[in-house]
Amino acid sequence: MTGTGTHCPYCALQCAMTLTPTAPGAPLPVAVAPREFPTNRGGLCQKGWTSAEVLRTPDRLTTPLVRGADGVLHPAGWDEALDLVAARLRAVQQEHGREAVAVFGGGGLTNEKAYALGKFARVVLRTPFIDYNGRFCMASAAAAANRAFGVDRGLPFPLADVGDAQAVLLLGSNLAETMPPSSQHLAAARAAGGVVVVDPRHSATAALADDGAGLHLQAVPGTDLAVLLALTHVVWAEGLVDTAYLAARTSGADEVRRSVAAWWPERAERVCGVPAEDLRRAAHLLAAAAPVHGGTGAYVLTGRGAEQSTQGTATVTAAINLALSLGLPGRVGSGYGAITGQGNGQGGREHGQKSDQLPGYRRLDDPAARAHVARVWGVDPDDLPGPGVPAVELLRRCGTPTGPRALLVHGCNLVVSAPDNQAVRERLAALDLLVVCDLVPSETTELADVVLPVTQWAEEEGTMTSLEGRVLRRRRATAAPTGVRSELEVLHDLAARLGVTRGFPTDPAAVFDELARASAGGVADYSGLSHARLDAAEAAGEGLFWPVPATPDGEPDHPGTPRLFADGFPTPDGRARMVPVEHRGPSDDLRPDAPVYLVTGRVLQHYQSGAQTRRVPALAAAQPEPFAEVHPLLADRLGVADGELLEVTSARGAAVAVAHVTTTARPDTVFMPFHWSGEGSANRLTTDATDPVSGMPEFKVCAVQVRAAPVVPDGPVRGRPVPVLPEEVTP
Amino acid sequence: MSPTKVVVVGNGMVGSRFVEDLLDRTAGPRGAGVTVTVLGAEEHEPYNRVLLSDVVAGKVELASITLPAPRDDRLVVRRGVGAARIDRAARVVHAEDGSAHRYDALVLATGARARVPDLPGLAARRAHARDDALPAGVHALRTLDDAREIVAATLNARRAVVLGGGVLGLEAACGLARRGVEVTVVHGGPHLMERQLDGAAASAVGHGLDRLGIAHRVATFADDVLLDHDGRLAGLRVRPADGSRPDPADAVLLADLLVMTAGTVAETGLAAAAGLEVRRGVVVGEDLTTADPAVHAIGDCAEPPEGGTGLIAQGWDQARRLAVMLAARLRMPGAEGASAPAGSVAATVRAGADTAGTAPPTGGTDLVRVKAHGLDVVAMGVCGPDRTGGPADRGAVGRRALSLADPRTGRHVEVVVADGVVVGATCVGDPRTAADLTTAYTRRTPVPADPAHLLLSPVRGAAAPAAEPSPTLMPDRATVCRCNGVTKGDLVACWHDGARDVEEVARRTRATTGCGGCTDAVCGLVDWLARSTESDRPRETPAALPAGEPAGSPISA
Repeated sequence: MTGTGTHCPYCALQCAMTLTPTAPGAPLPVAVAPREFPTNRGGLCQKGWTSAEVLRTPDRLTTPLVRGADGVLHPAGWDEALDLVAARLRAVQQEHGREAVAVFGGGGLTNEKAYALGKFARVVLRTPFIDYNGRFCMASAAAAANRAFGVDRGLPFPLADVGDAQAVLLLGSNLAETMPPSSQHLAAARAAGGVVVVDPRHSATAALADDGAGLHLQAVPGTDLAVLLALTHVVWAEGLVDTAYLAARTSGADEVRRSVAAWWPERAERVCGVPAEDLRRAAHLLAAAAPVHGGTGAYVLTGRGAEQSTQGTATVTAAINLALSLGLPGRVGSGYGAITGQGNGQGGREHGQKSDQLPGYRRLDDPAARAHVARVWGVDPDDLPGPGVPAVELLRRCGTPTGPRALLVHGCNLVVSAPDNQAVRERLAALDLLVVCDLVPSETTELADVVLPVTQWAEEEGTMTSLEGRVLRRRRATAAPTGVRSELEVLHDLAARLGVTRGFPTDPAAVFDELARASAGGVADYSGLSHARLDAAEAAGEGLFWPVPATPDGEPDHPGTPRLFADGFPTPDGRARMVPVEHRGPSDDLRPDAPVYLVTGRVLQHYQSGAQTRRVPALAAAQPEPFAEVHPLLADRLGVADGELLEVTSARGAAVAVAHVTTTARPDTVFMPFHWSGEGSANRLTTDATDPVSGMPEFKVCAVQVRAAPVVPDGPVRGRPVPVLPEEVTP
Repeated sequence: MSPTKVVVVGNGMVGSRFVEDLLDRTAGPRGAGVTVTVLGAEEHEPYNRVLLSDVVAGKVELASITLPAPRDDRLVVRRGVGAARIDRAARVVHAEDGSAHRYDALVLATGARARVPDLPGLAARRAHARDDALPAGVHALRTLDDAREIVAATLNARRAVVLGGGVLGLEAACGLARRGVEVTVVHGGPHLMERQLDGAAASAVGHGLDRLGIAHRVATFADDVLLDHDGRLAGLRVRPADGSRPDPADAVLLADLLVMTAGTVAETGLAAAAGLEVRRGVVVGEDLTTADPAVHAIGDCAEPPEGGTGLIAQGWDQARRLAVMLAARLRMPGAEGASAPAGSVAATVRAGADTAGTAPPTGGTDLVRVKAHGLDVVAMGVCGPDRTGGPADRGAVGRRALSLADPRTGRHVEVVVADGVVVGATCVGDPRTAADLTTAYTRRTPVPADPAHLLLSPVRGAAAPAAEPSPTLMPDRATVCRCNGVTKGDLVACWHDGARDVEEVARRTRATTGCGGCTDAVCGLVDWLARSTESDRPRETPAALPAGEPAGSPISA
């Protein structure tokens, strides 16, 4: 009996797994087993092991739902639902113009779906307003990498390369918790004492630096940039830069040298709270590992902690400047990389669901790019809309007099995952039409006018591009429940109803072939790939890294590009561009009535808004409820004991969560994971202030007031109902 | 409309920062509305003066301390051209090279020069007011050239005296010692750093100097420099500050290098000659403006209402505030807090205060920190002699001062708390606590219920799974495998259900199947369970460990 080789449905590590059909009558249709692959090396975390549970979750959506005159969602037939959506989209556009319809995609969609969604927006709806939740994850890293390197591939090298490094600097990444099997690749750096983790929490990842394995720099929230400026200062001030590399492969080094002259470690200490000597030690560890000093390699890696900030692009730029100063990028065994979060966070940002982008990571404002893609799509380039606006701005405009009146949401639970989510809820409620495609009911489907049930992971074919730019096959291992359709079918059917009867195939392999043609010649060139070729590559235990351009008939296939930048950077002059940046601090900083920082993040057991993982009993049992981590000193001052309820209030709103009293927190900072809705939802508190370059919201830091939650037995907390918290935690 | 002409006299850390900030805030399509001319007496590009002691210490390379030089076609920088006089009536600055520069706004950022002690042997310098008039071997530490010369001198110097035991003096002393020079600090005050520290803290600092092998003589005045036949420095004659007769054995310190770090004098000559009010510095109001509304002063040459501290944080804060004010006056886009995102309360408050033009100094800029390897001294806010009511005192009532004294290790921590926040602190010999106190002070974060906790760095990150000493000592609820949420109790239960090796335990519980980091721990537990079963059936708590079982031994195997 052979199983189906595929990859995990969750994060960007895309652990390889084999799904084997179970005996008839078994509770789940397939059994999950890990599979050897260079990224996960045969490992799976609890989410991966239990992923098949979501296939048979009792409340799986299996029929379209349409909100009736009674205000309640009622089951409906597919034709009825699709006719309704098409009719109302047409009506909205007739009355308010094409731009009155907007599309919101997701970083969990396959490449095929992401591509089709972008094409649907531009060709069928002809609206500029499409963006996606990757704007909440990767936009700052993407903007900085594009500016510095001329390309944005999260890791421009295979993840396994990190396994040989002597030092790894991790900024704002908790990979030990968010993609656990990946921490195997830190073994060599730990053995060399070279793991440096910058995080306001002593996270599971920070603990990897314990016991001489490296250093944990427990910085004040929102100050990663100051840490980086100080590290770069030390590298320059102590003559540790790779002078020959800088001269040959970069531009702008002099400006960066000057800009960091003002960031000596003692000044940075004042901003970031990390002792100056620790900053120096960290810089020395990295420098010693750099090839120029005879080290075996060093990496600088950033995650959401550094990027989800109003200075996220600047922070990533500073990380790149540090890496370039040490001569790391483009050398085998060293480099800079961003650790992509969502399953297809990489592919999802390459094929056209971004507001300013066309397939192949082409720019929507580039006439040549428009001409090429329009030719593939069989449309006039002048008919393609121009760039729209980034996600947060798009959501702010929804339901306003001049903004979109209708919104199509795919693969995203906005009401939980967007910043300042109570405001987002209001905007969605103000729409004339909200259509949501999802597998399970979510806080966002609850607001929808029409809900369309779609296939998931093990029920579909497609491709995902992992954190290292490797294009992976997602393969069908079981039939979808009756009544469920793929999003490719939904888009095909809607396009037809809106008068576009060609160009929206429902076969994922056919969509991929078109995507490959559309991407040809682009930065992310998939033109040498097909499902068949990818299947063969994965059968060989590898997979292919983009770019993989097509080759003329008769010539051998392009082997793919595991490592970028070996011969130069895809910038106009072939050099990596160093851009000086300055630390300004968080948009919502401490003040007398909000004297504590809130940082947000994730737990191992849950993925994103928790819509899937909260339905898996083992995961829900392990992490059942919203919580707030608080240091014993702060808890003591507040009079809150472990397990009691804490009320956290920001300028946006208030949340109530169970206090987890732990010394892993800074005494001036509380941490909340964002996987839950309701009273304990962390994104009730977060600010929607965004990075001026990338449009990325500042999820990671804001100022809050904290206190013990008022105890009102069986009653509302300060006038609000408390529906979310499980009974057993009632104080 | 012709552009507003801004002339800046001084191209140091504060002047250059102001220019950068002003150009940044007035950039954009209508940015042509301002032109900036900078007159800088030094030939060098602006550099980071704070790092000169690190240059002396050999910790940083000279080339790395050059500060940003904005490239902007609205900017003209005249390096090596000092200002000769100001004609306020005509609003013109006449430069030393004979050029004249009309201004709408004049910013004085002339800084300060090193104070040269009143010693007969140094009289020539005072007469000529020229660096090169100092005897060979005698140096101030104020400019790039000073630092360069001191570094050159250390190649041959064997014994150095640092005159002045303030922050700069201690940094210089540590730097020279790092280069292998024998160093003595001579300080006239009753104890080291008496402006910031009380006696107890200062003695902890002295302890730190002792450990670095640096001699220190406090309450000691310099009498004169001793020169050899070639006019080179040979030593320093000193006497007790209390006027008592010096012990002849202690009256002369032999030295071939003397570094003067006895404070600074604001460069106010230009302003005084132009009829502006000058006390210790050029007198300005909270708006950094002199009595002449077109003339401003920032940095070390200025005397604001709260007094000049000589600290760069104050100077940079002034540069920012003045740039915001002038940019707002020019009514340009970006003038009103370009970085402030809409909708943020804090940002709105900040921008509002900024554009008012009379923004008070930002809190937390009065932090003093000695940066020298092996000598950790930080003082901030109400500290040292001020804490029980000094000249800058406002409401000593309600203050609570706590301290930790650990003389044997040279550690001294003191914190002053009022209204639930840290209003001052001193920390010697404990860099981690110093960093925490700095954050608490500058950000006004809540102090613990018992502020005594501030005296030590709080316990951090305890009980991380990777740091568990031994799974056999773990409680049953402790997580062994994070990736799959497997506790010790789960593993023990699995054993009792019949799993007898790691593979079987892994198959049943999924422990070790994530990142594999717990493999050793699981192997150890399985070994322990196997050996325990041979003698006695293990219970699920460590208290029931078989007698004589060496805790943790399976793990280290």
